[in-house]
Amino acid sequence: MSHDSFLKADELTRRTFLSNAARTLLGVHLFPMFGPSVASAASASGAEARAKHVIYLFMSGGMSHVDTFDPKPKKKAVMGKTEAIATKADGIQVGHYLPKTAEVMDKVCVINSMNSTQGAHEQGSYIMHTSYGLRGTIQHPSLGSWVLKLGGRIHPELPGYVAIDSSPDLTGGGFFGAKYAAAPIGSADEGLKDSKRVSAVTSEDFDRRLSLADKLNRQFHGRYPNADVKAYEELYREAVSLMNSKDLAAFDIRQESAATRQLYGTGRFAQGCMLARRLVQHGVRFVEVQLGGWDTHYDNFTGVEGRCREFDQAYAALITDLEKTGKLKDTLVVVATEFGRTPEIKEEHKGGRDHHPSAFSCLLAGGGIKAGYKHGLTDPEGGKVKDGLVSVQDFNATIAHALGLNIDEVLMSPTRRPFKIADKGKPVMSLFA
Amino acid sequence: MKSFLLPLLAGALLVPALNGAESASTDPAQLRKIALQIDQQVAAFYRNRKLPVPKVTDDATFLRRAFLVSIGRIPTSEEALAFIEIDDPSKRENLVDYLLKSPGFSSHMSNWAFDLLRVTDRRTDSASTNTPYRHWIRTAMERNMPWDEFTRKLIASSGDGWDPETAAVGYYTRDRGMPLDNLSNTMRIFLGARMECAQCHDDPFGKTERHDFYELAAFTHGQEPIRREVIEPIYRELGDDSRRETQEYRVARMLWDNVYNLSLGGGGAGRITLPSDYQYRDAAPGDMVAGRTPFGKTVRLSEKKDENDGRAKLAEWIVGRTDSQFPFVIANRMWKRVMGKGFYEPVDEYIEPGKTHHPALASLLERTMVDLKYDLKAFQHVLLLTKTFQFATNPNASSVEGADDFHGRKIERLSSEQIWDSLITLAAGDPDKKPNRSLDDRVLLDGRPVLVGKKTMSQLSKEVLAISSEAEMRRYFTKLVADIRNGGGSSAGDASMSMMSKPVSYGKDSLTRASELPSPAPRDHFLYLFGSSDREVVDAASREPNVGQVLSLMNGFVQARLVNDSKAHLYNCLEGAGSDSEKVRRLYISILNRPPSDEEMSWMLDELKSRGNEGTRNIVSALVMSSEFLFLQ
Repeated sequence: MSHDSFLKADELTRRTFLSNAARTLLGVHLFPMFGPSVASAASASGAEARAKHVIYLFMSGGMSHVDTFDPKPKKKAVMGKTEAIATKADGIQVGHYLPKTAEVMDKVCVINSMNSTQGAHEQGSYIMHTSYGLRGTIQHPSLGSWVLKLGGRIHPELPGYVAIDSSPDLTGGGFFGAKYAAAPIGSADEGLKDSKRVSAVTSEDFDRRLSLADKLNRQFHGRYPNADVKAYEELYREAVSLMNSKDLAAFDIRQESAATRQLYGTGRFAQGCMLARRLVQHGVRFVEVQLGGWDTHYDNFTGVEGRCREFDQAYAALITDLEKTGKLKDTLVVVATEFGRTPEIKEEHKGGRDHHPSAFSCLLAGGGIKAGYKHGLTDPEGGKVKDGLVSVQDFNATIAHALGLNIDEVLMSPTRRPFKIADKGKPVMSLFA
Repeated sequence: MKSFLLPLLAGALLVPALNGAESASTDPAQLRKIALQIDQQVAAFYRNRKLPVPKVTDDATFLRRAFLVSIGRIPTSEEALAFIEIDDPSKRENLVDYLLKSPGFSSHMSNWAFDLLRVTDRRTDSASTNTPYRHWIRTAMERNMPWDEFTRKLIASSGDGWDPETAAVGYYTRDRGMPLDNLSNTMRIFLGARMECAQCHDDPFGKTERHDFYELAAFTHGQEPIRREVIEPIYRELGDDSRRETQEYRVARMLWDNVYNLSLGGGGAGRITLPSDYQYRDAAPGDMVAGRTPFGKTVRLSEKKDENDGRAKLAEWIVGRTDSQFPFVIANRMWKRVMGKGFYEPVDEYIEPGKTHHPALASLLERTMVDLKYDLKAFQHVLLLTKTFQFATNPNASSVEGADDFHGRKIERLSSEQIWDSLITLAAGDPDKKPNRSLDDRVLLDGRPVLVGKKTMSQLSKEVLAISSEAEMRRYFTKLVADIRNGGGSSAGDASMSMMSKPVSYGKDSLTRASELPSPAPRDHFLYLFGSSDREVVDAASREPNVGQVLSLMNGFVQARLVNDSKAHLYNCLEGAGSDSEKVRRLYISILNRPPSDEEMSWMLDELKSRGNEGTRNIVSALVMSSEFLFLQ
């Protein structure tokens, strides 16, 4: 850093303080240190927060539950080419495409009794992410933005919510605004876009540009002391400190050791999981990573095998890595999908399975959730939930509860309609250790 | 200097030429008269509340504001200088005239309409295109179609999606499969009535019951494609696993997705059955409900039979039988567009003129909208001519909660499209000299044109939709597949050749007006980063800042295509500049459209002195990164 930027940093600190004070008075918590702290206090709902972070792995397209986490070994007609294998957890079996995952199931809680009301991709993914049905007339905030809104950020400079390979419409701030939207990462290898100075500009000229812009902006803000104008001033400070600080390295998975990279493997989803772990370690609150391609209407078994190849090593590595670094204690790792797939196999579609929202499986691990535990039961075919039904809203309420958030807190949309983080969902208390 | 500044358009600015086509309702004297009445009403507001009257803004602020508000971009340096340096007492009026004649006006209006109506190029859930519908909207904006006519054509639409006369059916086919959401949006867009709660339950906050909603839904019920049953057997046969890879299947799918799926049959049944989860005592699930409008002058339809003109009746009710509601909702939308803040907000929650904080002015605006025959350009023209529009920027929040206090424009970040259109003006010069995107009317099979020189999509659609029996369809289909297989090289005749030349289209990276680029903007595009709407939800554009935007300004698109690109159009303005101070002045005029202050001049001269050529780039970079560039004053 040049001498110039040192001086500027001092000045920015002073102005940041003033502007934060203004924000707090206005009740706008851009910076979490002034907002409610999730980790420190028990929430009004009485939960003792164990989790500080969430890594939300979304299996887009509808992950077949009977081929992965709810196998029915006694029913050959249901299983088709899939075989069930034992795992490190007593009484939990998984599909044979998941050998590495089987090795970490003693750290994972399986929910076999998920139930959704939505059987189409768009609606199903939307309700999983927002707890509300898709309307053409309102955009509901996603779970990650609710967590930011209610819990605040942890790291003051890094974005609180990052989405890797995800769809911005499922990771948006909804009516909370873009402030609560995920910072999108298009490619885990490349990290955060435009976060590096372009090579055509020397660091001296870069500083000069900022310093000139800063002079102009101060003049303009003097004339118009307006919150929106100030927000940009703040963002320059944020962006510059992000660019300059070593925390930017949170986005750089190339800094991982060869051993770690080998642990995760080379797939795109694996890179996303590795980046998620890095981000969480550096204080990002919520990271979503998406793995698509689960819509196996045709040739389900080849499809599931391919998806599991992407998923298996990466997921096992993520759990192992988090545990090794001590972060599994306060990081909730979620595996979710919009629905399961039919137990019956469509032979005319080369052994395909169709959408099946009435019963499917999701996983939780870490963050105070029981390890090696199975919740809920489907009938012998995996067609209907027989016991311990968990609705989409219950599932999201459970995530919120693990974070110590108040699931009863009502926030109004700009059109003055009331919304909650998990709508009317209730946390599944028996999942907590 | 003067010779550099006064090219062609100085003349255009000075001559408020009256277009012969303009009707009596847009007579300039008449427009000025209404503008004066509005100013008198605003002045009365101040007198009553004993408020000071705001100052009128300076020329430079007026210039930038008028450009951004009416045509959605900053002026070119030529346009800026021509205005600033001319000494003419009527130059503001003349500027407004110049802007309303610019093709930029309809580009900017199109962004507004695309956001309001959620106009995308494609549908997310099928391979169907929306481009003929997009083109219909774009053309309606270009021709300044009156708002009542526009509304009627959308709501009462029926027919072939490719016929330019009926392409407005895209309003419904865009939402095929979700007609109730479509109806909620209709009420919201055109009448400022929010009914989406009532789709599923009685509205606990308002007065709409679920039964009312279904009575309204009866009008538009039945939105099937035209005679799709004649191709259905063929489509199903070919969709079999063994034949999915065949050319026949691809042709059938093209007709299914892009002919039938774009058409809208019938006229709206006028009755509908209640859904299976209907939960109130006044009726039972499965009961037949006839059309009945919930407010205004009631329109009722029969529950005995399908009247098949429900959409036309609904359109008639919306436009003509809701008293002040229809004209005042659009008047308020236009007021917000020009003045920055609505008479009431949100603009889609209607408040009747008499219940607003300035009933007399509200009534005047409503009456004006009707008197001007819903001519939105003329209505905006009136507002742009007012003193109220010229008031100096007011840094404070409105003193009337949730509404305009008529006390000077509030500071607001530019829309994503305004920022983009301004940046490309700097990077590539006047964008309004480029042709608009045209309708791609070619027959495309898996993205490749076929039957080139033989048939357009509109011809194909017309022929296909006229077929009324399966047997006839089988004959037509066999011939169509054969024609496609025989290649598209030979021409059917000279007349058709010119019609089928390659359409004008722009890729996402073109330095072209946002209105002509792919809609919605891709996720990794500058426009999306700065908050352009994904056009899935009504008016979903955002002006919220995020860190990615700032990173992009510092290190991304702006640096690559403007600051560090020595061929960027902006740098042409430096040609022949004799001194450093002249360079600084020209950069200021080009980017911020005002001369620099003495203090700023001294900063920038220092910069040039210490960094030479790099200094020029540093200045450009700083000016574009400044809040003054991003915000409308």
